[in-house]
Amino acid sequence: MTPGLGVWIGIGTALLAWTVVSSLSANLPGPIALVRWFAQSWLGRALALCAWAGAGWHLFCQRP
Amino acid sequence: MLVAAAAAFSWWEGGLHQDSAAAHTSVLATIAALLVTAVAAGVGRQAATVGVWVRGPVSVRRHFAEAPEATVAVIVWIVLVLAAIGWDLNSFAHQSHDLPTLSWIFGHATSSHAGRAAVFALWLTLGAALAIGWRRPR
Repeated sequence: MTPGLGVWIGIGTALLAWTVVSSLSANLPGPIALVRWFAQSWLGRALALCAWAGAGWHLFCQRP
Repeated sequence: MLVAAAAAFSWWEGGLHQDSAAAHTSVLATIAALLVTAVAAGVGRQAATVGVWVRGPVSVRRHFAEAPEATVAVIVWIVLVLAAIGWDLNSFAHQSHDLPTLSWIFGHATSSHAGRAAVFALWLTLGAALAIGWRRPR
């Protein structure tokens, strides 16, 4: 395992752990609340949809 | 019915290669369809105006006074997302085999039929939520 991959595993584990913790608590905003926040206004929704479209094109049509 | 169709579409897409015309067409068609849906479903149905939305996160002190736990949780989210973006930019800038990028990791995950189909299904779900989710009733 390369050092870079180790850092990714650390970040991924932290993200996963925080997703679980925030999903289990009613007071903490989880990943769905994050998406919902972007969907509150036209600007947020448009920005998020642009990022979503770019990510999809990169992932499914240009994958390195 | 719609969920079954989305699952079938994701599985079909999972079998495509990223260089194929079918993959390009299906991804572009999906993007176009959801953008049109977002506009058609959303006229006058946003929860907040752009001005209110932009100013929302600015008053951190008020947010912290009203809901300290939630404010700290949002800060944790921001730190984690910035860490991922920062490390990805660092890995991309160095272009080294020892520093894989997020694209490389996702590329590895989507190299199989099932992996590509699963990631596509997640992407489709996120897009649908962004296009039609959390609207005010007419």
